[in-house]
Amino acid sequence: MLHQAIANAPTVFEGTANTIAVIVLLLEFGMLRAALLRAQVQLYAVQSLAVSVLAVVVAAGRGIPELYVLAGLSFVLKAVIVPIVVLRLLRDARADIAGSGALGVASEVVLSIVVAAFGFFAFGALGITSKALPTTSLSLSAAVILVSFMLMILRRDVVSQAIGFFSLENGISMASLVVAAGMPLILEVAFLFDLLVAVVVFGVLMRVHHGQSNSLSTVHLDRLRG
Amino acid sequence: MIDLPLPVIQALQVLTIMIGAPLVSGIVAQIEARLQGRRGPRILQPYYDLAKLFRKESLAPAGASPFFLVAPLVAFACYLTVPMLIPVLTTYALPLGSMGDILGGGIVLALASFVVAVAAAGTDDAYAQLGSSRAKTFGAITEPVVLLVVFTVALLTSTDLPYVLAATVTSGPEQIIRPAHLLAAAALFMVILFETARIPVETHTGTIELGMIEEARSFEHSGPYLALLKWGSAAKQFVFYTLFINVFVAPWGLATTQQLGAVAIAIVALLVKAVLLGAVIAVIDNVFAKLRLFKITEFVSAAFLLAVLAIFTLYLGGG
Repeated sequence: MLHQAIANAPTVFEGTANTIAVIVLLLEFGMLRAALLRAQVQLYAVQSLAVSVLAVVVAAGRGIPELYVLAGLSFVLKAVIVPIVVLRLLRDARADIAGSGALGVASEVVLSIVVAAFGFFAFGALGITSKALPTTSLSLSAAVILVSFMLMILRRDVVSQAIGFFSLENGISMASLVVAAGMPLILEVAFLFDLLVAVVVFGVLMRVHHGQSNSLSTVHLDRLRG
Repeated sequence: MIDLPLPVIQALQVLTIMIGAPLVSGIVAQIEARLQGRRGPRILQPYYDLAKLFRKESLAPAGASPFFLVAPLVAFACYLTVPMLIPVLTTYALPLGSMGDILGGGIVLALASFVVAVAAAGTDDAYAQLGSSRAKTFGAITEPVVLLVVFTVALLTSTDLPYVLAATVTSGPEQIIRPAHLLAAAALFMVILFETARIPVETHTGTIELGMIEEARSFEHSGPYLALLKWGSAAKQFVFYTLFINVFVAPWGLATTQQLGAVAIAIVALLVKAVLLGAVIAVIDNVFAKLRLFKITEFVSAAFLLAVLAIFTLYLGGG
């Protein structure tokens, strides 16, 4: 293990790709910690930007020109349009602070580290190799997906659940960069438009929920009657 | 060009930290004041403060044990032992450099903080006791972060000697742009903010006793003893800056030979790099608000996350 680490120092391309993947994961943790709903949406925008940058890095490093198109599309859609739409919804709802999570922030982070570790090593054990990106990125995207589940489970407000779902999609598109970088562009675009549908659905959910209970918290949703 | 003998360079490492520390503090305080739109104290003010305190009489509270007076001396000695173990001026290990590894240095620093805390707890001052109790409580939760950073270094270099990591970092860009290294450096930076009592954790200036952690411990000391504590905390800050700069982030400008000129350049380079780092920290000081006391665990859990991720990515072979 020790000598492996020195001998297998990744190349600059792999190091860059892994670092961006780590940043995506850290931003996911950032969303888990963020107290302000607005900050959560902004973190999501930055995370989408990081995923787009990763696509550009793969496109440049491995010579896959379609990925430039994908990076551009996902930047416009996920880092600009979706955050603007969600922020506008938030402005209408006039709610700033998320309802507290099911646990304290420090415990949430520690629990999510455990879950992320599970994702890491489970995917690491699969032994999938890819020509486009180092396998670490795949493990990291598994961790992103699991932590976004934690975000949806632990936080008790509609916005966190929407953002958790959107960032889940970021994790999946990062994973697809690893396992299927040369995937036909039309499929990738189809995923992106799926996301648009989700934005509409969550937008309606937020509006209806806010209209009914006058808050974005989901704490009161466990009662059958109002 | 004159070649300096190794023991002289070793002594210079300690002297650089000892004499340079108040200067670095002074310049950082000046930068901070300018950022806040104040003129700020003179750059040499920390030296004047120390000189003034050394001339004053010293008082000890009634009933304080002799340990109360010994502690500042022990702590100061500890802070000056660490510069022998880390690359302050040279890229090559000096004779006493292999006396201890990073963990050894960490233990010496912990000993310093422990004796100061014990001395403060031995007085009857509620604030000094509060400070020492808090310092130890939060110290206990930052300790895992430090350990994980050390483990990362150990996995990266298969040794835990700081000189080897510095050499690894300078060996090429692929050693710098690796997630494990970047994450460990970021985690260490957060620990440094904690250890040097900077803003997300504690306000290092002013007199807000209820928010104090480290600063409250020296309330009962006076005269030369207080001077030693203040000088010691400046030296501690400079030691941490040096560790961060010369081992993790920018181990460039260090002397590779024993020539006098090279060593002189290394001293100047270290001071310049420390001031740059101090400027970054001063900006953080002005941008962020102090965390509530019970939010400090969240700050530390973020640092812990970074350090754990460093280890994870290394084990996956992609770090």
